[in-house]
Amino acid sequence: MKTVDKEIGAILAGTISSITQRSIFNRLGGLATTPVHQLTPTDRATILQELENSIRLFARSNSAQLIAACAKALAAGPGSPMGAGTSAAPAPMAAPKKLPIEQEKDIATARLEAWSEAVRIGLTKFASVKVATAVSELARNIVFYAGKGSIELRSLKDDRGVVGLQIISSDQGPGIPPAKLEEIWAGTYKSQRGMGKGLVAVKKLVDDFHLDTRVGIGTTVTCVFRGER
Amino acid sequence: MEQELPIIQIRNCLLVSIQTELHDRLALDLQASLMERVRTVNARGVILDVSAVEIIDSYITRILNDIGKSVGFMGAECYIVGIRPAVAMTLIEMGVELDSVRTALSLDLALERLELL
Repeated sequence: MKTVDKEIGAILAGTISSITQRSIFNRLGGLATTPVHQLTPTDRATILQELENSIRLFARSNSAQLIAACAKALAAGPGSPMGAGTSAAPAPMAAPKKLPIEQEKDIATARLEAWSEAVRIGLTKFASVKVATAVSELARNIVFYAGKGSIELRSLKDDRGVVGLQIISSDQGPGIPPAKLEEIWAGTYKSQRGMGKGLVAVKKLVDDFHLDTRVGIGTTVTCVFRGER
Repeated sequence: MEQELPIIQIRNCLLVSIQTELHDRLALDLQASLMERVRTVNARGVILDVSAVEIIDSYITRILNDIGKSVGFMGAECYIVGIRPAVAMTLIEMGVELDSVRTALSLDLALERLELL
């Protein structure tokens, strides 16, 4: 049976790495494994919008052709705005996105989501990779130490028009005891699974960093990436 | 979901192209099978190609360093090839080190340095 992921995977092969493809399909959820002929027009629009964002982000060239090929594969009706792209662009300051983080695969999803959000609001390519890396660290901390939590992405804009992205990672995990926290900032803490350097790394990557952790209650990390003027 | 990364042998060198999300189990399996193969084929070098990896965080860095260290203990050299520019910049800013592995721009250059070309 021709499912969405198989059809689209065949088109993207060679242009978009399989890691990224998997993340894209993860984001589509159940739609990815739906047979193409069972899609409703709304499903198609959702999938195309998602693919369009991802392809623009990850394909190094010929993104327009790829998007058109995907639209064709999904058998979009003749009236659909194929490759029109910009017309469907969302408003610049979208509602905050809250991503649940519960298992290892959510880390990859959060990372990709943060990456595309950073690109969408106009951060540079390098800044967007930093955003994705920071989110990866925060999501890993949640999965490794708290079990579950969430990461929220909010786009910001100040009165001078400088855009930014706020990332709020929160969990109701064990919290970090003060002694351990001291070791973390001193760089002497070594965890079992990570390098004990995740939080330090995030702090160095972001422009604003705030950590609120209470033993037995949980941890919240709030940080901001600012775009250039 | 048993998954294993294919290890390719080029003369006395082992090559792994990382095309998937690394997690604990997979990384440990890779480390173990690389060490085993280094021993059985008497490998001079191990090359990990990360050109498909778009984000490297401190956890992945630790995995790469661990593999480099274990391979190094066995007397082989471990090369990481294909780190993307944005990834390299991010690693510098984060202050994490890839100090247990060598790096080369491309597979060709790594093979050249291992004197296999």
